[in-house]
Amino acid sequence: MKKIAGRIVWALISLAAAFFLTAIAVDRGEPVNSFWIVLAAACTYLLGFRFYARFIAAKVMALDDQRATPAERLRDGHDYEPTNKWILFGHHFAAIAGPGPLVGPTLAAQFGYLPSVYWIIIGAVLGGAVQDFVILFCSMRRDGKTLGQMARDEIGKTGGITALLTVLFIMIILLAVVALVVVNALRGSPWGTFTIAATMPIALFMGVYLRYLRPGKVLECSTVGFVLVIASIFGGQAVANSPLLAPWFTLSATSLAIAIIIYGFLSSVLPIWLFLAPRDYLSTFIKLGVVAMLAVGILVVHPTLQLPAFTRFVDGTGPIFAGKVFPFVFITIACGAVSGFHSLISSGTTPKMIAREWNAWPIGYGSMLLEGFVAIMALIAACSLQPGVFFAVNSPPGVVGTTPAAAVSTISNWGYPVSVAEMNALAADAGEKTLFYRTGGAPSLALGMAHIFSSTGGGKAILGFWYHFAIMFEALFILTIIAAGTRVGRFMLSDLLGHAYPSLKRSTWMPGVFATSGLVVLAWGYFLYQGVRDPLGGINSLWPLFGIANQLLAAIALCVGTTIFIKMHRARYMWITAVPLAWLVAVTFTAGYQKIFSDQPRVGFLSEASHLQSAIDAGTIAAGRISEAQSQIFNDRLDAAVCGMFLIMVALILVDSIRVWFRILGDTREVKVDETPFVLSRLQAEEL
Amino acid sequence: MRAFLRGVMVLLREIADENAYQRHLQSVGRVHSAEEWRRFLDERLAHKFAQGKCC
Repeated sequence: MKKIAGRIVWALISLAAAFFLTAIAVDRGEPVNSFWIVLAAACTYLLGFRFYARFIAAKVMALDDQRATPAERLRDGHDYEPTNKWILFGHHFAAIAGPGPLVGPTLAAQFGYLPSVYWIIIGAVLGGAVQDFVILFCSMRRDGKTLGQMARDEIGKTGGITALLTVLFIMIILLAVVALVVVNALRGSPWGTFTIAATMPIALFMGVYLRYLRPGKVLECSTVGFVLVIASIFGGQAVANSPLLAPWFTLSATSLAIAIIIYGFLSSVLPIWLFLAPRDYLSTFIKLGVVAMLAVGILVVHPTLQLPAFTRFVDGTGPIFAGKVFPFVFITIACGAVSGFHSLISSGTTPKMIAREWNAWPIGYGSMLLEGFVAIMALIAACSLQPGVFFAVNSPPGVVGTTPAAAVSTISNWGYPVSVAEMNALAADAGEKTLFYRTGGAPSLALGMAHIFSSTGGGKAILGFWYHFAIMFEALFILTIIAAGTRVGRFMLSDLLGHAYPSLKRSTWMPGVFATSGLVVLAWGYFLYQGVRDPLGGINSLWPLFGIANQLLAAIALCVGTTIFIKMHRARYMWITAVPLAWLVAVTFTAGYQKIFSDQPRVGFLSEASHLQSAIDAGTIAAGRISEAQSQIFNDRLDAAVCGMFLIMVALILVDSIRVWFRILGDTREVKVDETPFVLSRLQAEEL
Repeated sequence: MRAFLRGVMVLLREIADENAYQRHLQSVGRVHSAEEWRRFLDERLAHKFAQGKCC
């Protein structure tokens, strides 16, 4: 009886999923309420989790709770520790959730909501969650090995080295692009700049508090830090209203970029406990809190989507970034559906803490579905803005015109009416001087979130607070990523250069620490500066580069997963990883090829370079701007080279993997599976 | 509801490394002190920040 009832419930969920997915796709000439999208995602994710992931777990991986996990066998109280399933779920989710699923869907909304909604739902179920789950499983069966180690062991030396280099280069592009998001959010905003500046001394205070005043009281310390950060938002409002203080905190994009570069360097060389750790604790708690608040806010307000299902920009002429809906919607959304970076977390801390093998099912697969939900919420927040406002905030002056009047005229002519008075009123409500040209996604997302939060109570009177709260939340955890990423880049570089100069490997040798930190900061700082100076806003070139790199890392992870499935004699199930792999290769190689070779200057790096060169040769560029154009030409060629290098590295791994697959499939001898041997679990339920 | 809130608190303590510190004290058989906390934290953070934050 219970079985029949269960089948009826799942049949109803399946019908509901089909109905909601169809309903949001059918144009009835009326705006769509966000509730339909939430339900479509929820029903599809439930089905994916219950049936597809369970099938993979049972039939392909053959998860076995009788088998002792590394957490039990190698238990040391530090890294290896059997942890409660739901605690580890939260821990893993906190580790994988970054700015990507918030910013990516916001930028991709320029195509309309429908392509993004479908990709976030389908991509997460069939691609992203599968990748996370498979890598977690592979690492768990190999004592918690990293992706690089598994690539080297399962595919070959080339795979291992290429994976390591890809991670380093992706990190440099990632740090540059997220720093650019912060720069664009704080440019000309004394309120936002003061709030974020105040988080620096707050972090230092928290560091001292935690180490000397109240050792061990991390939650207490983070609560104190949170109260101080909220106070700094109110302080920011006072600063913005002060004729004396406001100019001090009204910074240009270049000044902010330099400040962030200095910040990145200092956070890499200062002791972790003093600065990075307290920021990290605080930003993780705020991140989880805001995601929960946004979910509640959307359920309560369930805003109507103002952006249409498709905009005219599916043809590739979008103002935020150029390129057609295929392939650019996929690489723009990136982490909201598939994130290569997750494979580093799934082969990092998490596999060392899993108590029972079946726990990998909710932790590996379920966490990514939750991240997909975060992406859906970000998309809803962005699409709840009026289209004219959305494009006025996100479009660079190089595309829509250098004055507000020109911008609203261009955007209104596209069919998305907006006026200068409307934008000024919105800026006044948000406590900003202007909201024009706020590219990067963070300000429009913050506006959407502020709109949802203020609709639950308080209205326009508190829109400014919520807008700056959202900006603080985004900037705080992006800056934490920059600090941590610079440090990791430093370690990787000192490891690499340490072969030539062994002293560099010593983390206590300060000249080495300064030199490697400086090199990493200069690398991402250069791309950041390039983005800041770009008349098209920087996002147009850097975000696709980041998206391509991220998806290529996912392709590497899926190569590893497919190889391991074949070695496990599960070749008939290799489509589970091979299909998303083929899709990612098709998408990223198409996008990469277009970014390098497209004949449209706004899409192709080389085309823009030759377009500018022709303009210089023809004398149509003013003498004073020739050096600027020349540096733009250099940057375009550099971006093309970086993009080409990513493609070559992944092509190398792919060819190497296919070679290994054919060798195994054509060989009748027994293939050695590099798993740790079976040991019977003796873990008791009460130990969790 | 109480069980849910208790679960949330345990999760927050896990993220805050407070649970890991308790496990550390148990495994080394020592009691809490400022010096012990600093030793634990330095080791924990060095490991934690050897890998990047996710995007």
